Amino acid sequence: MLVFDPLRKDDPRLRFLALVMLAGLGILLAGLWWVQIVSARDYQAKIETQSFRTVRIPAVRGQIRDRNGMVLAENRPTYNLCLYLEELRGAFDRACTPKLTAARAELKHRAEARRAQLGRRLNRQERREFYLGAAQKNALRRDARWEVVSNVVAGLSQRLQKPLPLSRPVFERHYDTRLVLPFPVLANLDPLDVARFEEQALDPVGVDLEIQSTRFYPFQTTAAHVLGYLRRDDSSVEGEEAFFSYRLPDFRGLVGTEFGFDRELRGVAGAKSVLVNSIGYRHTENVWSPAEPGRNVVLTLDLALQQAAERALASAGAGARGAAVVLEVHSGDILAMASSPTLNPNHSIQGFPPGEWDRRMNPKLRPLINRATQENYAPGSIFKMLVGLAALEAGLDPHETIQNPGYIYIGRRQIRDTAPPGAYDFRRAMKLSSNTYFITNGLRAGVENLIRLGQRLHLGERAGLPTRQETAGIFPDYHRVSANWTAGDTANLCIGQGALAVTPLQMAVMTAALANGGNVLWPRLVDRIEPADSAPEAPARIFPSGQVRDRLGVRPQSLAVMREALLADVEDPDGTGRRAAVEGLRICGKTGTAQVTDERNRLVDHTTWFASFAPYEKPKYAVVVMVESGGSGGGACAPLAKLIYTAILDRERQAKAPALAGMGRP
Amino acid sequence: MMQMSLLSESQSRLEKWQLAAVAGLVLLGALFVYSATMSGEAALTMAWYDQSWFRQLVWYGLGAVAGAALCLVDYRGLARWSMVGYWLMMLLLAAVLIPGVGSMRFGARRWIDLGFFQFQPSEFAKLAFLLAQAHFLSRPADELRQPRIFWQSLGLTALPFLLILRQPDLGSALVLVPAGFAMLYAAGAPRRLLLRMFAAGGVLAVLFLADVLFAPPSWQFRLEDYQTRRLKVFFDIPYTPASPNATKAERERLRRQQLDDSYNVRQALISVGSGGLTGKGWRQGTQNALGYLPRAVAHNDFIFSVIAEEEGFLGSVVVLALYGTVLFTGIRIAGQARDRLGRLLAAGVLALLFSQIFINLGMNIRLMPVTGVPLPLLSYGGSSVLVSLMAIGLLQNIYFHRKSY
Repeated sequence: MLVFDPLRKDDPRLRFLALVMLAGLGILLAGLWWVQIVSARDYQAKIETQSFRTVRIPAVRGQIRDRNGMVLAENRPTYNLCLYLEELRGAFDRACTPKLTAARAELKHRAEARRAQLGRRLNRQERREFYLGAAQKNALRRDARWEVVSNVVAGLSQRLQKPLPLSRPVFERHYDTRLVLPFPVLANLDPLDVARFEEQALDPVGVDLEIQSTRFYPFQTTAAHVLGYLRRDDSSVEGEEAFFSYRLPDFRGLVGTEFGFDRELRGVAGAKSVLVNSIGYRHTENVWSPAEPGRNVVLTLDLALQQAAERALASAGAGARGAAVVLEVHSGDILAMASSPTLNPNHSIQGFPPGEWDRRMNPKLRPLINRATQENYAPGSIFKMLVGLAALEAGLDPHETIQNPGYIYIGRRQIRDTAPPGAYDFRRAMKLSSNTYFITNGLRAGVENLIRLGQRLHLGERAGLPTRQETAGIFPDYHRVSANWTAGDTANLCIGQGALAVTPLQMAVMTAALANGGNVLWPRLVDRIEPADSAPEAPARIFPSGQVRDRLGVRPQSLAVMREALLADVEDPDGTGRRAAVEGLRICGKTGTAQVTDERNRLVDHTTWFASFAPYEKPKYAVVVMVESGGSGGGACAPLAKLIYTAILDRERQAKAPALAGMGRP
Repeated sequence: MMQMSLLSESQSRLEKWQLAAVAGLVLLGALFVYSATMSGEAALTMAWYDQSWFRQLVWYGLGAVAGAALCLVDYRGLARWSMVGYWLMMLLLAAVLIPGVGSMRFGARRWIDLGFFQFQPSEFAKLAFLLAQAHFLSRPADELRQPRIFWQSLGLTALPFLLILRQPDLGSALVLVPAGFAMLYAAGAPRRLLLRMFAAGGVLAVLFLADVLFAPPSWQFRLEDYQTRRLKVFFDIPYTPASPNATKAERERLRRQQLDDSYNVRQALISVGSGGLTGKGWRQGTQNALGYLPRAVAHNDFIFSVIAEEEGFLGSVVVLALYGTVLFTGIRIAGQARDRLGRLLAAGVLALLFSQIFINLGMNIRLMPVTGVPLPLLSYGGSSVLVSLMAIGLLQNIYFHRKSY
């Protein structure tokens, strides 16, 4: 070897020194190889954990639209005024330096005083007391930061001409735990604030507006129950990166369509990584997966009808509790589904106005529940539609009359008849809602026939709406009526009381089945899921309409007799549903007033109903209105149905106008 | 006449490989001092002539001039004055300990503030010591068999060692020991005596370490608190509270302090390790730019971490190769020296350079405890750069005068 040549002969000691150095360099080389090649991956991982923070970026939520494309739920930019703390670092330092100098001077002064007092130089131990400790330095830095931030915020407050609340603990917590994220000074600026902030060209250092997309329901309470509402939830969904250092505010649907199609609406959250320096300030950012916006859900609702239904319910009084459902009888599309009292889903995002929370929790009003699908109600007399149909199928001659003395005895129990005494055929019994007639004929037909028809209507079963707001209702099955079942129970069933409970939506499906010739349809709330606006070429997911769930299996003649009788209920001057009549539309309907009893069987309330469809000649719409604590179905519900039918007529007229024809479904 | 020969025959009379390696190291030093210091905004706003990389370049220039100047005077001439230089430096080392003369920085009194320059006598004392020791040992080898001479030579090493240790600057003090021993060994001191010294030193070192690390506080050798802690950090020994019935908070505070104290070491290792094979590229390292590797040390004691992070294993190998070239050409210079003085001086310079390199690189990869030993030629710092280049100048001087004309 070149190096050793001159040494080999005569200088073993130098050669030994050279060997020692060679060995030393060899050890260093081996060490470097171990650290940089063998363990490199570990150290690279360490660098990541100490200098990268990941932030979850929620996607823009998809819209919810009505069948005509009217936007029921959208997103609006909200502006938050934020401090970018890393840009204020210089100011922090500048504010801190004089404080540190002053503190040091103060300590020096005290040390001098001590020295004069002792009359000798301080030893090392004593001097240590007058050093500026790390804790003191940190406290001074905190003070300096707080000073700078409160000054900046005071300046902003002047600029926006409004007081800006700022709390030191909140700021300190943000600094200690979320330094990477900007510090929010004022959330949700109104346009005036934004204008005031923007009008002055010179932006203060470290202050900027942060734009955030926020859910907004432009029609406020309209279709609130169908839309549902959101809850703050930043957690990762399945199939998403589970670990994030920080999460930006995100929301998740709790009920309604927002819940049922949450997966589609929420899109895919993105992620960015923030490189932070050793003190935790933000250095650079890198978005490694951008958020994918959510898809849009198109409902079968028709905004105009929905609003009409809600207006109708509202006309029953401020605290009216009830529901209204408008179903298209051939497709099963839910055109309107209203529940009252209603709520404003915007409150879940923007915060509750005073008193609203109490109202939501009111045990009597219960605005949170969707009364169209979520609550069990006795159907009362509107159930006579099913009883009548079963009796007709069982061979009842609709022209045969029955004498009604004003009451009927079942065993020893007397059931009062609200219809006046007299002779009743099918048509008269239906329009005056005679208990005697339907109990007599229901008993004649037999409870099994009632059960069969009820089962074909899938009473006591859910319709599978995606809203998490559905109750199955109650309906006895064959097993239930085979034992411990009395004629009295059947009699109760015949007048829509006793061992059954339904929802307004179920009654709408039943009415639609009578109207469309016997098809029991799946009610349809969602028409299609459209691709996100960012990827318009992606295929939409379409939910087929007119899905037949079951068939009534009744003769057309029976249905014709039924329709005739229902028409009479609205059109005859003595019909119970006459107040629903609308000029220009022939409506078939049935009123109902169900008794609500408490656990000790005392009458406490009434549930009033009006179930109907129209037009008589070529049925298209089924309208069911239910009002809790109404006086009677004819008095409380029929007028509301009339309002809805009026709106339907308006809608039809508009649809005929050529200019607006294009607004219909494609 | 000598001037003439320098001019006319410089091609053949300078050790070109060594100079090339030194030039490479100087270039790396300038590049990475730039990389290590030009990350903060504060550095960017400074005037260019105030920036560290420029100052470093100035020191390189001054060092080159000083090294060349050392070449001009025959090392034998220098050796004649070596004892005067030695005692002058000892005086300065003593003076620096006096408050008011020496200035405190980072809890140690190592500097004499000259206003424009923080003069660090311990660096220059190393050179003076090397010259004096070489001069002293250059007597005939037989004389070295006398224990008196042997002990005198040890005393020559011990005096600056103790003075520098008192500053305190354990690292600078420690590098004197291998240099002193290497010179004794190269001078032909009896193997038996050296081995005995070595064994005794080893036993003492082990006892010392055991005492510092494990003995109850009242039995411990008095050491600066931070020195004990650095040793504990290096050997990964948990801090223990002074009294056995310490509170939970006290234990937690100690644990936290240990974490803080091992911070430099940890971050240096992360820097070096995360460089991988090829590194992140010049000025692309994040450890330094984001302040994880403390800014106060990144450009001086831990400059190698910056190089290793940005240039990876390949860069580390280049650095090692350059140092290897300097050292082994140095060995050849020692072998070709015209006399015992030159040979011993070269051996001493090499041992000194080598110990500094080994300790500094070792502490970057946790082979060595953290001691404030700068990396010759690469670390930022006027004294270190000047002395390193002057040491190279001495080597070239010996090579230059290897033949008498």
